[in-house]
Amino acid sequence: MIVVDEYLAVRVVGGRWPEGLPDDEDLVLPASRHWRLLQRIHAPGDGQLSQLLATLSPPDRDTIRYPHPEVLQIADARPLLDEAARIAARYGGTGWLIAETLAAGLTYGRTLWFGTERNVGHVLAQAAGDLGITVHVIT
Amino acid sequence: MEEMAVLDVAEERRRRRRAGDPRLSEAGREILARMTTGDLADEFQAALDADVEADPILGGHHDDAA
Repeated sequence: MIVVDEYLAVRVVGGRWPEGLPDDEDLVLPASRHWRLLQRIHAPGDGQLSQLLATLSPPDRDTIRYPHPEVLQIADARPLLDEAARIAARYGGTGWLIAETLAAGLTYGRTLWFGTERNVGHVLAQAAGDLGITVHVIT
Repeated sequence: MEEMAVLDVAEERRRRRRAGDPRLSEAGREILARMTTGDLADEFQAALDADVEADPILGGHHDDAA
Protein backbone atom coordinates (compact mmCIF):
# COMPACT_ATOMS: atom_id res chain seq x y z
CA MET A 1 0.00 0.00 0.00
CA ILE A 2 1.21 3.49 -0.85
CA VAL A 3 -0.17 6.25 1.40
CA VAL A 4 -1.03 9.43 -0.50
CA ASP A 5 -2.50 12.84 0.36
CA GLU A 6 -5.53 14.59 -1.11
CA TYR A 7 -3.61 16.10 -4.03
CA LEU A 8 -2.17 12.85 -5.29
CA ALA A 9 -5.46 11.04 -4.68
CA VAL A 10 -7.38 13.52 -6.81
CA ARG A 11 -4.76 13.51 -9.53
CA VAL A 12 -4.83 9.73 -9.71
CA VAL A 13 -8.64 9.59 -9.75
CA GLY A 14 -8.50 12.10 -12.60
CA GLY A 15 -6.18 9.90 -14.62
CA ARG A 16 -3.19 12.23 -14.39
CA TRP A 17 -0.62 9.95 -12.85
CA PRO A 18 2.04 11.94 -10.97
CA GLU A 19 5.52 11.38 -12.34
CA GLY A 20 7.58 9.51 -9.76
CA LEU A 21 4.70 7.91 -7.88
CA PRO A 22 5.20 4.11 -7.71
CA ASP A 23 2.50 2.25 -9.63
CA ASP A 24 3.11 -1.30 -8.47
CA GLU A 25 1.00 -1.19 -5.29
CA ASP A 26 -2.50 -0.10 -4.35
CA LEU A 27 -2.89 3.52 -3.30
CA VAL A 28 -4.53 4.36 0.01
CA LEU A 29 -5.88 7.67 1.31
CA PRO A 30 -6.28 8.08 5.10
CA ALA A 31 -9.93 8.44 6.09
CA SER A 32 -9.36 11.87 7.66
CA ARG A 33 -8.02 13.11 4.33
CA HIS A 34 -10.94 11.58 2.49
CA TRP A 35 -13.12 13.50 4.96
CA ARG A 36 -11.52 16.75 3.83
CA LEU A 37 -12.22 15.91 0.18
CA LEU A 38 -15.82 15.09 1.06
CA GLN A 39 -16.18 18.53 2.65
CA ARG A 40 -15.51 20.02 -0.77
CA ILE A 41 -18.40 18.00 -2.18
CA HIS A 42 -20.95 18.25 0.63
CA ALA A 43 -20.09 21.53 2.36
CA PRO A 44 -18.86 23.79 -0.43
CA GLY A 45 -17.88 27.39 0.09
CA ASP A 46 -18.66 30.28 -2.21
CA GLY A 47 -15.44 30.37 -4.24
CA GLN A 48 -14.81 29.41 -7.83
CA LEU A 49 -13.70 25.91 -6.86
CA SER A 50 -16.97 25.24 -5.07
CA GLN A 51 -18.96 26.56 -8.00
CA LEU A 52 -17.12 24.25 -10.37
CA LEU A 53 -17.45 21.23 -8.11
CA ALA A 54 -21.18 21.93 -7.92
CA THR A 55 -21.32 21.43 -11.69
CA LEU A 56 -19.97 17.89 -11.47
CA SER A 57 -22.43 15.23 -12.53
CA PRO A 58 -23.47 12.62 -9.93
CA PRO A 59 -21.20 9.96 -11.50
CA ASP A 60 -18.31 12.42 -11.42
CA ARG A 61 -18.98 13.24 -7.76
CA ASP A 62 -19.10 9.53 -6.99
CA THR A 63 -15.47 9.17 -8.06
CA ILE A 64 -14.58 11.27 -5.00
CA ARG A 65 -17.34 10.00 -2.69
CA TYR A 66 -16.73 6.32 -3.46
CA PRO A 67 -13.37 5.95 -5.18
CA HIS A 68 -12.95 3.00 -7.52
CA PRO A 69 -10.95 0.47 -5.43
CA GLU A 70 -8.69 -0.42 -8.34
CA VAL A 71 -7.65 3.24 -8.50
CA LEU A 72 -7.74 4.48 -4.91
CA GLN A 73 -8.64 2.89 -1.59
CA ILE A 74 -9.70 4.62 1.62
CA ALA A 75 -7.84 3.40 4.70
CA ASP A 76 -9.94 1.71 7.34
CA ALA A 77 -9.39 4.01 10.31
CA ARG A 78 -10.23 1.44 12.97
CA PRO A 79 -6.98 -0.58 13.02
CA LEU A 80 -5.03 2.70 12.92
CA LEU A 81 -6.81 4.43 15.81
CA ASP A 82 -4.75 3.10 18.71
CA GLU A 83 -1.46 3.97 17.02
CA ALA A 84 -2.88 7.35 16.00
CA ALA A 85 -3.92 8.11 19.58
CA ARG A 86 -0.46 7.12 20.80
CA ILE A 87 1.13 9.46 18.25
CA ALA A 88 -1.25 12.30 19.15
CA ALA A 89 -0.34 11.97 22.82
CA ARG A 90 3.38 11.73 22.09
CA TYR A 91 3.45 14.88 19.99
CA GLY A 92 1.17 16.94 22.18
CA GLY A 93 -2.37 17.21 20.93
CA THR A 94 -1.80 16.41 17.29
CA GLY A 95 -5.21 16.13 15.65
CA TRP A 96 -6.71 13.16 13.88
CA LEU A 97 -5.47 14.27 10.46
CA ILE A 98 -1.78 14.24 11.32
CA ALA A 99 -1.98 11.33 13.77
CA GLU A 100 -3.88 9.04 11.40
CA THR A 101 -1.61 9.93 8.48
CA LEU A 102 1.48 9.09 10.54
CA ALA A 103 -0.11 5.87 11.79
CA ALA A 104 -0.86 4.92 8.17
CA GLY A 105 2.75 5.69 7.31
CA LEU A 106 4.00 3.44 10.08
CA THR A 107 1.65 0.66 9.00
CA TYR A 108 2.25 0.86 5.25
CA GLY A 109 5.96 0.92 4.52
CA ARG A 110 7.09 3.91 6.59
CA THR A 111 6.57 6.17 3.61
CA LEU A 112 4.12 9.00 2.85
CA TRP A 113 3.51 10.66 -0.51
CA PHE A 114 2.28 14.27 -0.85
CA GLY A 115 1.38 16.33 -3.89
CA THR A 116 2.60 19.63 -2.49
CA GLU A 117 4.88 20.79 0.31
CA ARG A 118 2.13 23.08 1.59
CA ASN A 119 0.02 20.06 2.50
CA VAL A 120 2.70 18.47 4.70
CA GLY A 121 2.97 20.91 7.59
CA HIS A 122 5.87 21.28 10.01
CA VAL A 123 4.40 19.14 12.81
CA LEU A 124 3.86 16.17 10.50
CA ALA A 125 7.29 16.63 8.93
CA GLN A 126 9.04 16.71 12.30
CA ALA A 127 7.11 13.77 13.72
CA ALA A 128 7.64 11.72 10.55
CA GLY A 129 11.38 12.24 10.84
CA ASP A 130 11.29 11.23 14.47
CA LEU A 131 9.28 8.10 13.68
CA GLY A 132 11.48 7.04 10.76
CA ILE A 133 8.83 7.77 8.14
CA THR A 134 10.04 9.12 4.79
CA VAL A 135 7.94 11.94 3.31
CA HIS A 136 8.05 12.27 -0.47
CA VAL A 137 6.67 15.36 -2.20
CA ILE A 138 6.03 15.16 -5.94
CA THR A 139 4.43 18.03 -7.80
CA MET B 1 3.02 -20.15 -18.19
CA GLU B 2 1.54 -19.41 -14.73
CA GLU B 3 4.26 -16.85 -14.11
CA MET B 4 3.33 -15.05 -17.31
CA ALA B 5 -0.33 -15.02 -16.27
CA VAL B 6 0.59 -13.42 -12.94
CA LEU B 7 2.68 -10.82 -14.75
CA ASP B 8 -0.23 -10.07 -17.09
CA VAL B 9 -2.59 -9.54 -14.15
CA ALA B 10 -0.12 -7.24 -12.41
CA GLU B 11 0.41 -5.24 -15.59
CA GLU B 12 -3.33 -4.93 -16.14
CA ARG B 13 -3.83 -3.68 -12.58
CA ARG B 14 -1.06 -1.13 -13.09
CA ARG B 15 -2.64 0.04 -16.33
CA ARG B 16 -6.07 0.47 -14.73
CA ARG B 17 -4.56 2.28 -11.73
CA ARG B 18 -2.78 4.76 -13.96
CA ALA B 19 -5.83 5.35 -16.15
CA GLY B 20 -7.88 6.88 -13.34
CA ASP B 21 -11.52 6.32 -12.49
CA PRO B 22 -13.37 5.15 -15.62
CA ARG B 23 -16.60 6.78 -14.38
CA LEU B 24 -15.13 10.28 -14.56
CA SER B 25 -16.09 12.45 -17.53
CA GLU B 26 -13.60 14.56 -19.46
CA ALA B 27 -15.12 17.70 -17.92
CA GLY B 28 -14.68 16.20 -14.46
CA ARG B 29 -11.06 15.33 -15.20
CA GLU B 30 -10.42 18.91 -16.19
CA ILE B 31 -11.90 20.30 -12.96
CA LEU B 32 -9.86 17.88 -10.82
CA ALA B 33 -6.70 18.86 -12.70
CA ARG B 34 -7.35 22.59 -12.14
CA MET B 35 -7.96 21.86 -8.45
CA THR B 36 -4.66 20.08 -7.85
CA THR B 37 -2.15 21.47 -10.33
CA GLY B 38 -3.90 24.40 -11.98
CA ASP B 39 -5.41 27.78 -11.24
CA LEU B 40 -7.63 26.49 -8.42
CA ALA B 41 -4.85 24.88 -6.36
CA ASP B 42 -4.54 27.84 -3.97
CA GLU B 43 -8.26 27.80 -3.29
CA PHE B 44 -8.14 24.04 -2.76
CA GLN B 45 -5.31 24.36 -0.24
CA ALA B 46 -7.10 27.19 1.56
CA ALA B 47 -10.18 25.00 1.92
CA LEU B 48 -8.10 22.11 3.28
CA ASP B 49 -6.42 24.46 5.76
CA ALA B 50 -9.79 25.85 6.84
CA ASP B 51 -10.98 22.34 7.69
CA VAL B 52 -8.22 21.78 10.27
CA GLU B 53 -8.68 25.26 11.71
CA ALA B 54 -12.42 24.79 12.11
CA ASP B 55 -12.32 21.30 13.61
CA PRO B 56 -10.14 20.72 16.70
CA ILE B 57 -10.58 16.95 16.52
CA LEU B 58 -9.24 16.95 12.98
CA GLY B 59 -6.63 19.66 13.46
CA GLY B 60 -5.61 19.23 17.08
CA HIS B 61 -4.15 21.96 19.23
CA HIS B 62 -1.23 22.90 16.99
CA ASP B 63 -1.20 25.91 14.72
CA ASP B 64 0.10 23.62 11.99
CA ALA B 65 -1.80 23.83 8.71
CA ALA B 66 -1.10 20.15 7.95
